[in-house]
Amino acid sequence: MENIQELKNTLSYIHSEINRIETMAGTLSTIEREHYKKLTNFDHTELVDIAVEEQNAARQLGTMKHMCLAIAQKIDGINSAIDRGEIGGDEGRATETH
Amino acid sequence: MLLRLIENFIRSAVNETVDKAITRAIRDQYTENLFEMVPATNKVGVTNLLEIAMRANQGTPVSRPLGSPIHLSPWEKILFNPVHLFRFPTPENVGIRTSITIGHRAKKPMTVSIPIMIAAMSFGGALSKSTKIALAKAATAVGTATNTGEAGLLEEERDAASLLIGQYNRGGWMNTPDKYKRLDAIEIQLGQGAQGSTPQRTTAKNIGEDFREVFGLREGEDALIHSRLPGVNTKEDFIQLVKRLREETGVPIGLKIAATHHLEKELQIAVEAEVDFVTLDGAEGGTHGGAPTLQDDVGLPTLFAITRAAEFFARKGVIRDINLLATGGLVTPGQMLKAIALGADGVYIGTAAIMALVSEQMVKAVPFEPPTSLVVYTGKMTDQLNIEQAAKNLARYLNACVQEMELVAITLGKTSLIDITKSDLSTIDPFLSKATGIQLGYVSPENQNRFFEETKSLFRTFEAPIKEEENEVRPFLSESNKEQDRPHLH
Repeated sequence: MENIQELKNTLSYIHSEINRIETMAGTLSTIEREHYKKLTNFDHTELVDIAVEEQNAARQLGTMKHMCLAIAQKIDGINSAIDRGEIGGDEGRATETH
Repeated sequence: MLLRLIENFIRSAVNETVDKAITRAIRDQYTENLFEMVPATNKVGVTNLLEIAMRANQGTPVSRPLGSPIHLSPWEKILFNPVHLFRFPTPENVGIRTSITIGHRAKKPMTVSIPIMIAAMSFGGALSKSTKIALAKAATAVGTATNTGEAGLLEEERDAASLLIGQYNRGGWMNTPDKYKRLDAIEIQLGQGAQGSTPQRTTAKNIGEDFREVFGLREGEDALIHSRLPGVNTKEDFIQLVKRLREETGVPIGLKIAATHHLEKELQIAVEAEVDFVTLDGAEGGTHGGAPTLQDDVGLPTLFAITRAAEFFARKGVIRDINLLATGGLVTPGQMLKAIALGADGVYIGTAAIMALVSEQMVKAVPFEPPTSLVVYTGKMTDQLNIEQAAKNLARYLNACVQEMELVAITLGKTSLIDITKSDLSTIDPFLSKATGIQLGYVSPENQNRFFEETKSLFRTFEAPIKEEENEVRPFLSESNKEQDRPHLH
């Protein structure tokens, strides 16, 4: 029973951190996109290259955001399965009900 | 003064030559006239004329680089539908989602940041080591994957690629656990658009030491790609292979085939094998070199292949389980996005990637050598390719392509590229509309049925099964003509 409770606590911790990472990735992605717009205002090849790198970074941060979202959903799914007793059998349900 | 004299002399010489040429062209009989070349070339085609001469000279199938020049996918007849009021365009401060995840059911799915990946082009069999490294670096820079092609595991490519899709291939060079377990996704290669499932051979004289090492070949041994995957001679063999690779690696397992009219039958087996993704290479697919007949006359065009495959997966209820990757002749961002709208989750680009890669450096080769001499394994100038510059050019190109796609997404009112569907398209071709399910742009959405009802006679023959005896008399008889012709049939 203790193990299941520990697993649930760990999952809650991961879930909360993943949500924070998702928000950070989203914010950074927005900042990188803004940088891209500013840097492409200058007619300078090296700045354009930096701008392209910023834009690529923005997309990858956007990707991280969506990966975090998908992981958070999976964690939710595991937590729900524990609550339904599908993982850890009766122990899981017992933890929830008592 | 001297320059003026030279200029006058040249002008006079050119004038006299052209005058004589025109006069002769007018006066000479056609059979003695050099102008004969013009209608003759028009009749045969410039490419065909040169390839006739090459075949006559070499006596073996001609090896044509970069695939067929014939484009059978009518991408230009399809247009996106922008929105203004009924649904609003996406605000410009909203980021458009560009990432896709391949292999949701796999233990280790693969997520790429953009829906464009670098197509399977092998080290040695196709490209030089420096080109493969440049492709991998560019892919990594933009957060996408590159593909090994039919080769062994090239360490430098593995190091440079953060996401590497490897081909379990008919040559057998990637087919051992020590190699395929180091991949991020495995694509079982049974064929490709430009060559179908034909056998291919790289002769020993074109195989260097680095090639031998990666492919595990003996000195003097040819590199042979068989028509069948060794060990896969039945449907069950294939299903077992997919199962084994899945259990051994946990990464997405896919199938790559040349698009064909037998598509649904092939895909049925892929569904039974529970592959994670299917890569369809349309008839317009490129290659480092291949027989023109295989390129021009074999396969199914990419546009129809995607449409049919997406419909089949939807019918089978596996559209969310099996990712569809489209490739073959996709050269503009518009074509790539249309492929996505028709049901592909992502696309591979080969020829366009190579062209972007050498774009700034092709001046090193032309006018005396083709640009491909900088990138193909047997090219004379591969040592002159600047890897960093090449990777940068390709990364810029990919960024530009995705940005153009994002602009389209904004005007469609979408926040994710993968959300773009057939309903965002219209076509100006009624036959294409019937074949693909894209609405016809001539008439409003509510009048689509009426239009096709009123013009039924034009399409009916294609809908109804044609009886064998009718088929023999006139295969594409319209309904009205059939009525008129009926007396003659009896």
